Formats: sequence, structure tokens, C-alpha cells
Amino acid sequence: MDIKDIKNIYKFLKETDIVEFELEGQDGKVRIKRGVAAMEMPAPVIMEREAAKEAKKEEPVEKKPENVKIITSPMVGTFYRSPSPEAQSFIELGSIVKTGQTMCIIEAMKLMNEVESEYNGKVISVLVENGQPVEYGEPLFHIEVSK
Amino acid sequence: MQGKNPAELKIIRVLKGEGSGYVSGQSISSALGISRTAVWKHMNSLKGAGFPIEASPSKGYRLASPKDPFNGVGIAAMLTTDIIGKEVVFFPSIDSTNVKAFELGRNGAPEGTAVVADRQTKGKGRIGRKWESPPGVNLYASIILRPGIMPHEAHQLTFLMAVAAVEAISPYSPRPPKVKWPNDILIDSKKAAGILMEMDSEADRVHFVVAGIGVNLNIREKDFPDYIKGAATSLRERCGQEIDRAAFTRGLFSSMEKWYRIYLGKGFAPVLDEWKRHFGSEGKPVRIASFHRDVSGICMGVDNGGALLVKTSSGVERVISGDVEAGE
Repeated sequence: MDIKDIKNIYKFLKETDIVEFELEGQDGKVRIKRGVAAMEMPAPVIMEREAAKEAKKEEPVEKKPENVKIITSPMVGTFYRSPSPEAQSFIELGSIVKTGQTMCIIEAMKLMNEVESEYNGKVISVLVENGQPVEYGEPLFHIEVSK
Repeated sequence: MQGKNPAELKIIRVLKGEGSGYVSGQSISSALGISRTAVWKHMNSLKGAGFPIEASPSKGYRLASPKDPFNGVGIAAMLTTDIIGKEVVFFPSIDSTNVKAFELGRNGAPEGTAVVADRQTKGKGRIGRKWESPPGVNLYASIILRPGIMPHEAHQLTFLMAVAAVEAISPYSPRPPKVKWPNDILIDSKKAAGILMEMDSEADRVHFVVAGIGVNLNIREKDFPDYIKGAATSLRERCGQEIDRAAFTRGLFSSMEKWYRIYLGKGFAPVLDEWKRHFGSEGKPVRIASFHRDVSGICMGVDNGGALLVKTSSGVERVISGDVEAGE
């Protein structure tokens, strides 16, 4: 892995919603975290995002290994990574999670929905930023399922 | 924790049937098919639970006052609902009724199970906020619902609970209570009740929803902590009378059941129509504070799904979460 590969990965990430990314190869490990400041903020937080819908159409291009599963949003709402702004996130990038473990909260009109992992495995990407709106079926996390 | 004892509920109903008149121990024992010693034991237990029972060796037993104690038996005593409060689980003190109801829900508690507490040590508001829950004055309750709906429809129950709360509060409020989107209840622009809904679901199925509600009944405004002083009120402050907490709770459960049946039978539209009648912000300037930014504009009401419509300088925005404040 050299600087050109990392640049390529970053270029790829910039075109997606991915905010945290980790890749481990035989020759090392790269971890990229894209902060709020680095991100464009096109969508008003509490509106339905036209942009997100368009982005979703392009997504199928991305091919994932079979052991990588996606956790999607069960409803339209606002995505929270922790139970309160001051509290610790339910999970971090790299967290080992179990089936039934709370991953995040989606809020719609003061109904809070704890989204649980349907898999045992490792969180390899967090696709949405805290406080952002999500669509029904929008991917939230990638889980590398344990063998 | 306190459930309800079927024999004790029957005894209370028999006594209440006589108003403040006496009922002989013999007639109670034959009505329930239990010994007079058992009746005496139940009477002691009911007295211990706070019922104003008087015993006379010659006349039997009577209730000295119609006021019920605020606990599991007191609430369940004259409850007429079939679903909501079918099971009342009462705690003198608990961390959060929502947390407890969620736990009971996961363990398979039936629909309508109500967790009620005299006091909460960690009363929950939206996104980690607190709900002030001192003992002896208010109502803190969480109800488990198991409607056969999809997760994306579950927010409709938020509106249902607001409608039920308005109906239960109205008789005690000199001026009509108003709803702040989506489900705070205000009297004279001050918060009297708050509702927090939490759901357990998988992708295409709602396992259960916990509807948590806190109603400020008898707390005095001077006793609110500084951070909500001026913004919160109680029914007692508004109507000038002590509220019977057990009776209020029963009224609330009845309203919840009435609207839940309407919802299950006819869908969301009649619930939302009723909600709109009590909505206080339409046509008024509002500001919605949320995670990354604020939206300000004129409130245009809600759409068919209940989302708030706000007309801003750049168009009409559809709001699905955030705190609504009166704007300028």
C-alpha cells in the first residue's frame, strides 16, 4: 500500500457517504475518518434529502465481500450514535458487536427506535454522521460477519 | 413492585358499590367465597396500601373517603379498560418507567401493561434529557403497545398519545390545552405533560412500542427546578384544586384505549384530524432547533404523515424531528 493507493481510497470515499473507513492488508493498515468540517453539508438536517436519494442510486456499483453485511434504517428519521449528546457512542468503528446489540437510535417525531445488529461481527464502516437524516432502507453500518 | 390482587380488587369494588356505607364481613366472605379471616387479612392489606378502610365490629367495613391511593391497587380498583392498564405494575420509586416497560416488553409482557411510579430517579426526556419526577405529586407511566404495524408507521402512535393526553387533561384545564408538535401538552403556553415513545422492532415488524408519559398534576410551579421554571406548569396550578392521581390515571388510560381502538379500526386519519384540532402553532412563527442547524419560518401545519411543515424564505420544509419553539 503506498500513498497513491491511499489517495485513491480517499478519492473514492469523497464520492460516498462514508465518514469512517478502515482497511487492513498484509502490509499494513489504513484508517480514514472524515470530520464534519471536511464534509460538504448540503442537506438541511431535518429535511428529506434529495441528495441522499440520488446517492443511493449509485451505490450498487460498490461490491462487497459476502461476509460484509449492511444494517439499514427501518424508517425515515434522524440518526443518533449515542443515547444523548454527551453520552458515549453505542458503537465505534472496529467495535465487535453481537446480534441484538444496540447500534444507534433513529428518531422520527419523538419516537425513538433503537436499531440492533442482526449479526455477530466487526463494524467496518459507519455510513452516517450523528444527527443526520436517514431514509427508509438507507445503509447505516457495514458489519464484517464473524466466521 | 406491586401488582393487583384479584380478591382485593373485588373487595374494593364491593365497598365502592356502597359508597361510604358499611358492608358486613359475612356478605363479603360469601360474595368472594373466602373465609372471614381471609377477608380480614385482605382488609389489612388494603389499609396498608392506603385505602381509608374503617372497620366496625357490628357493621362491618366501609370506605371513609372515595379517594383512592396512588398505587397499583388504587389505580386498578375502578379501571374499566380492557387493554390499557390490564396489568398495572407499580413502583414507589424506579429509575425510569420507560426503561422498566422496555425490559418487561422484551420479556413478553402483554399489550396494555402499564408501568406506573410515584417517583423516577432518572426520568427520561427526548435525547438524554431529564423529566423532573419528584414523589407524591405527579403521574409517570409507560404503556406497552403491540399494534400490528410497520416500523415506519409507529410514529403515528406519538400523535395518538397526544390526543389521549389532551382528552384526559381537558376536564382539569380552565383553558383548552394545546399540543406542541409532536406531543407536548401545554396549558397557557406552559408544559403540563410530555410524551416519549420508544420502539423495539426489526426491519419489517414492530415488536412493541413503549409510550411513556409524564403529567404534572399536583407539583407547585415554585418547586420546579430553575431550568424549567416559567416554562412548566401543573394541573393543580391551573385549576386550583388537588388532583386525585389514581382517578386521573384511570381517565388517561380510558382515553388511550378509546383512541387506540379508533386507530386500530379506522387508521391514522381520524387520530391526526383530532390532533390538528388541538395543535397550537399553525399560522404562527416557529423555530425548530435540531442537531446541526435551526429552521425558522411560519408553521403551515402538518402533512398527512404528521411531519411539520414550515414555510421559510427558501420554500416549505418538512420537519420530522427537533424541538419546536415559538419564533418571532
